[in-house]
Amino acid sequence: MTKLLQDIKLIGDEIPWLKDFRQKGKDEFISQGIPTAKTEAWKYTKPNRFLANDFSFCPQGSKDISPYSIEVPFKACQIYFENGIFSHHDELPEGIEVLPLIEVIMFHHDLRDKIGALAEIKAHPFAALNSAYLNEGVYIHISANVTTPIVFVNHITPQPNGNMYNLRNLVVVDDNSSAEVVEYYCYEGDIKSSYLVNVVNEIYIGCGAALKHYKVQDEAFKAGHIALNSVKIKADGLYQSFCLQKGADLSRNETKVVLAEEGATTEVNAAYMMNGWATIDTTTDIEHLKPFTKSLQLVKGVIGGQAKGVFQGKIHIAPQAVKTEGYQLHKAMLLSDEAEVDVKPELEIFADDVKCSHGSASGELDQEQLFYMQSRGVGKDKAKQILIDAYLNDVIAKIDNENIRLWVKSFIGEHD
Amino acid sequence: MATPLLEIEDLYAGVDGKEIIKGFNLTINAGEIHALMGPNGAGKSTLSNILCGKPGYHVTSGRILFKGQDLLKFSAEDRAREGLFLSMQYPVEIPGVSITSFLKHAVNAVRQYKGEDELDTMEFIKILRQEGKKLGLDADMIKRDVNVGFSGGEKKRLETLQMSILKPTLAILDEADSGLDIDALRVVAEGVNALHTNDNALLVITHYQRLLNYIVPDFVHIYADGKIVKTGGKELAMELEQKGYAEFVKERND
Ligand SMILES: Nc1ncnc2c1ncn2[C@@H]1O[C@H](COP(=O)(O)OP(=O)(O)O)[C@@H](O)[C@H]1O
Ligand SMILES: [Mg+2]
Repeated sequence: MTKLLQDIKLIGDEIPWLKDFRQKGKDEFISQGIPTAKTEAWKYTKPNRFLANDFSFCPQGSKDISPYSIEVPFKACQIYFENGIFSHHDELPEGIEVLPLIEVIMFHHDLRDKIGALAEIKAHPFAALNSAYLNEGVYIHISANVTTPIVFVNHITPQPNGNMYNLRNLVVVDDNSSAEVVEYYCYEGDIKSSYLVNVVNEIYIGCGAALKHYKVQDEAFKAGHIALNSVKIKADGLYQSFCLQKGADLSRNETKVVLAEEGATTEVNAAYMMNGWATIDTTTDIEHLKPFTKSLQLVKGVIGGQAKGVFQGKIHIAPQAVKTEGYQLHKAMLLSDEAEVDVKPELEIFADDVKCSHGSASGELDQEQLFYMQSRGVGKDKAKQILIDAYLNDVIAKIDNENIRLWVKSFIGEHD
Repeated sequence: MATPLLEIEDLYAGVDGKEIIKGFNLTINAGEIHALMGPNGAGKSTLSNILCGKPGYHVTSGRILFKGQDLLKFSAEDRAREGLFLSMQYPVEIPGVSITSFLKHAVNAVRQYKGEDELDTMEFIKILRQEGKKLGLDADMIKRDVNVGFSGGEKKRLETLQMSILKPTLAILDEADSGLDIDALRVVAEGVNALHTNDNALLVITHYQRLLNYIVPDFVHIYADGKIVKTGGKELAMELEQKGYAEFVKERND
């Protein structure tokens, strides 16, 4: 086995529930191993190349971490992690509770059942790996209509190469409550630093509740970022997400949403852009279990160099889920001859009387548009940037919150 | 005598490996208006695209000097920054890019090239609105995306608006009259005339005489089979309208 799994004494091993949870994760990861080209769910992304640089769990020896926060250009309540370790959070507004996950495991036994119930380790080897190291992460509990966005930051500071950081978060939005959560992954120092961030988020959305979940993945160019978001929505609940993946050499953002009760709605939008040799994967799995559920997905990517974009989108409509709607659209722009995009839509429709569609298209930068702009004096690189920005504009526009939208845009470049 | 704005000498050129321009000569001085007339497919747009540096076009031999400098050495954007402008026969739609933002980038790129300060956004929008109004493009039109959903006539007005904002030294109008009704034609022509001074020049490409009633040329050139076959004053355009192109092409062949 690789260094990914090591026999390390972790805090809390003396708690039987936790020891057992970790052991199950470990056993599962050992039995599945690192996915290969033969693993259906990973056949395009092939993590082996990246994982050839072995990564090992970073024991949280010194808690010598900075009291800083990352600047975001809007009023927010920040939960700050450094190198995968929880540091602190800002003063919390009414209706938000934040606890280190380990504390929840120790003192809130009623919440234990929620951990691991959505992120299935059987189907997700990296979630199994994450479970084997279950320790760092937070529980975020929303019990009102919270208007200040919560910004969850994991900041990687200069570290020796080869560290793996596992993060595990549990988000519970009570009935008729709502919030906006932004996840932001960033680094400081060498753009070539090589590390692996492995995140699992389990998100429970109550009846009539709403969560808007935005994410910016801006890791170092040689880093890996693997994330699983597992969401369950009750009646008339809403989960709306937007994820921008722009950094890392290997990146996967997987979102599984279970529309468990009538009237549950989800919007899963994403944008990705990369160059070099990177592989960036957006995987979605939407399960419509009940009537009158609705899902909308728009994913757009811009791929340059010898990079590869992957989109796998599954919509499953269960036999009893009549009157449901499921829409999915993926579009990619290839900036070079060697850029590649692999797309796998999967529709499993077992109900009648549903509206469902999917589409995928890829194209290149429009040379006529480029020349038109140049012929007015706009430099070629600037013109390309403007066209890329325009291309991603409709998916970015799905971000309702204007401050967050402008902030996300700033990662794409062109913005005025 | 001052250096001509444009000198094309014995140009052989084409597109996609096909030779279209064969022995073309033309000199344009500051203050002049030239009309280039020719049948469909003569190579008029090919010539304008070569002048503006569109990819895919090649020059086999000959020279093009712009303000005394070798034009072909400049990138497309630098030609524009040096003062060359093409009002395109088929303006391009750019969804997702607003006219305001696009033109602000264009103007500031040109200003930066000349070592001038960037324009303040509010000031720029004010100028754009004023100029737009003169061409019958209201504030709502200007907020829209570049050419998206514009009628043929609106596209030509927008080309003219860009010209009035960029104030080129040499403007080439490729079929600026196509798709225009008579009122729009007048508005566009007035816009173009207002920009014409002793320091700049116009090359008006058309295959109808109609536009030349409004933008009155000093010289009319008949272009056929890859070169200029006859040059005259503005009356040549009238003659052409009566006789048709065949007459002139034949005349030369005899
Ligand atoms: N991209 C191209 N590839 C090959 N031939 C072209 C291309 N563009 C134009 N042509 C040909 O070049 C000739 C001149 O075209 P054009 O310059 O558009 O003529 P005009 O503007 O005078 O009507 C035509 O025969 C046309 O078919
Ligand atoms: Mg033409």
